[in-house]
Amino acid sequence: MAMIELQHLTKTFGSGETAVHALNDVSLGIEAGEVFGIIGLSGAGKSTLVRCINLLEKPTSGRVIVDGKEMTALSGKALREARRSIGMIFQGFDLLMQRDALGNVRFPLELAGVRRADADKRARELLKLVGLEGREGAYPAQLSGGMKQRVAIARALASNPKVLLCDEATSALDPTTTESILELLRDLNRSLGVTVVVITHEMRVVERICSRVAIIADSRIAELGEVQEVFLHPKTEAAKKLVLPSRSGKLEGFTEDAAATAVDECRGELIRLAFDGSSTDRPIIADMILSCGAPVSIIYADTRTIEGRLYGHTVLQLPSDAETADKMKRWLASQGISYTKEVQ
Amino acid sequence: MSFSQVLSLVPEALWESIYMTVATTFFAYVIGLPLGLVLVVTDKDGVHPMRGVNMTLGAVVNFLRSIPFLMLFLFVQPVTRFIVGTSAGAVAAIVPLVISAFPFVARMVEQSAKEVDRGVIEASQSMGASNWQIITKVLLPEAKPSLLNGAAVSATTILGYSAMAGCFGGGGLGAVAMNYGYQRYDFLVMFVMIVVMVFLVQVFQESGTRGGRLTDKRIR
Repeated sequence: MAMIELQHLTKTFGSGETAVHALNDVSLGIEAGEVFGIIGLSGAGKSTLVRCINLLEKPTSGRVIVDGKEMTALSGKALREARRSIGMIFQGFDLLMQRDALGNVRFPLELAGVRRADADKRARELLKLVGLEGREGAYPAQLSGGMKQRVAIARALASNPKVLLCDEATSALDPTTTESILELLRDLNRSLGVTVVVITHEMRVVERICSRVAIIADSRIAELGEVQEVFLHPKTEAAKKLVLPSRSGKLEGFTEDAAATAVDECRGELIRLAFDGSSTDRPIIADMILSCGAPVSIIYADTRTIEGRLYGHTVLQLPSDAETADKMKRWLASQGISYTKEVQ
Repeated sequence: MSFSQVLSLVPEALWESIYMTVATTFFAYVIGLPLGLVLVVTDKDGVHPMRGVNMTLGAVVNFLRSIPFLMLFLFVQPVTRFIVGTSAGAVAAIVPLVISAFPFVARMVEQSAKEVDRGVIEASQSMGASNWQIITKVLLPEAKPSLLNGAAVSATTILGYSAMAGCFGGGGLGAVAMNYGYQRYDFLVMFVMIVVMVFLVQVFQESGTRGGRLTDKRIR
C-alpha cells in the first residue's frame, strides 16, 4: 500500500465558461519512505496537486488516501487530526513573525494540546536537528532565508508526520542555500524515514534528491517514473520541454555594438548549432577551430550533457573572412552537426 | 477669568475626558474587537466564509458609521436615559460614544487582521489548527502591533468625539470649553482647553504607536 494514493483527482476552479481545470484525472501512488518529485512549469497544476494531499484544497472529485486514511472522506476535527501527520513547508516559509524560532516550532504542538514543558523540549530537539541550536530566541526577521526554511522544516516535523510536503520550498533561496536545504531534507528522509514530496519547477532540485518524479503539464501527469529514466529519455513534448535546454535561447545582452568590438577576424556571421543528443560530448568547437585554423567567438551556449550525450544550443560568431567561414560550415556539415543562420 | 482660575478648571475636566475616552475605548473594543474578527473570518477569503452574516454585519457597521456623531448623540438620548438614568454628564456621554465608536473599531480591527499573511493562516491550517485557534493563536498575536496602532487612532478619535459630547451636555474638556469659553466669550478658557486636548491626543497616539513598535518582532 502506497503512503499517498491519489485516485482520479480532479480540481476545477469556478464553473461554466470561466472554469479552470487545475487538475484533470490525476492518479498517482507515492511509496512510504521515498523522495518523490512533482515538476512542472508555472500554472501546470502542481501546487494545486500538493495542496489536495492535505486537503488545503478540496478536490472536485477523486480520492486522496494518506497512510491508509481517506482524507477526502474526512472533515472537521477528524481532518484536522489527520493533517497533523502531514507536515508541509512553503516557498515563503510562512513563519509566525511575532514568535521566535522556538515558539514557531512549538506552535503545532500547542495546537495539538501538548504540555508546554514537553513542547519546549521537543522544539529544542528539532531546532538542533535542523542545525539551529542556539538560535531558539531569534525572531524570523532576524534569520536568513535558509534559516527560516530550517525553522519551517523543524515546525513541520514537530508532530512526527509520516509525510513532508515541500511546496516550492527552495524557490526563494539562492543556489548554495538550496543545496543545504535539499541535503537536510534528504538526511531527514533517511534518518526519520519520512516520505518527502517535492514540488518544484527546477530540474536540479529533482535531480538532487528525488528517486521518482512525475512531470505535470496541462493539469495532467505527462510522465512518471525513475528520475534517471524520465530525464534521460523524455517521451512526451512536455517532458522534453522541461528536461532539454530551450530551443529558442535569446541572445541576451548581445548587440551589434558588442559584435563590433570583437577581434577583427571574428566579426562574421552568427550561426546556431543545435545538439539533439546524437553527437557525443567530444570537443566539437575546439576540433573545428583546430582543423580550420581560425578562432570563433562563442556568443551563447546552453547545453547539458546527459549520459555523455550533448543537448542544447550554442551560438557562434564565425570569422569575417568568408572563405574561412565557409570552410567551417563545410566542416560542421561533414561532422553531421546541424546549424542555422542566427537572425538578430 | 484669570489664568489661574482657568487652570483650576483643568484637572477635573481632564480627568473626565480621560475617563470618557478610556471607558468608551474599552467598551467599543469589547464589542468592536469580536465584531471585526467575525467580519474577517466570515469574509469570502476568510477561514469560514459566511456570505449572509458578513454582508449583514457589514451593512450594520456601515449604517452606524454613516450617522454623524452629534445626530446619533441626540437621537439615542432615550436609550442613554434608560441605561444610565440621565442623559447629562460624562458617564451618560459614554453610551452614544460607544455606539458611535464600536463600528469604527470593528473596521480598524478588520483592517489589522486582514494584514496577517494569508500563507501563515494556510500553514496553520496545514498543521491542523481549528478556526478558533487561528483567531487566538495566529490572527490576534500576529496583528498585535497593528491592533495597538489602531487602538491609538481609535482612542484619539473617541477623545475628539467626547469633546463634542461635552459641548452638548457631556462632561470633560469639551464641556468647559463650551460653558466658559463659548457661552461667556472667554477665549482664554477655550485656548487652554484646546492645548490640554492636543497634549492628551499626543499622549494617546504616542503610547499606541510606541506600544505597537516595541512589541513588533518584525523590526530589528
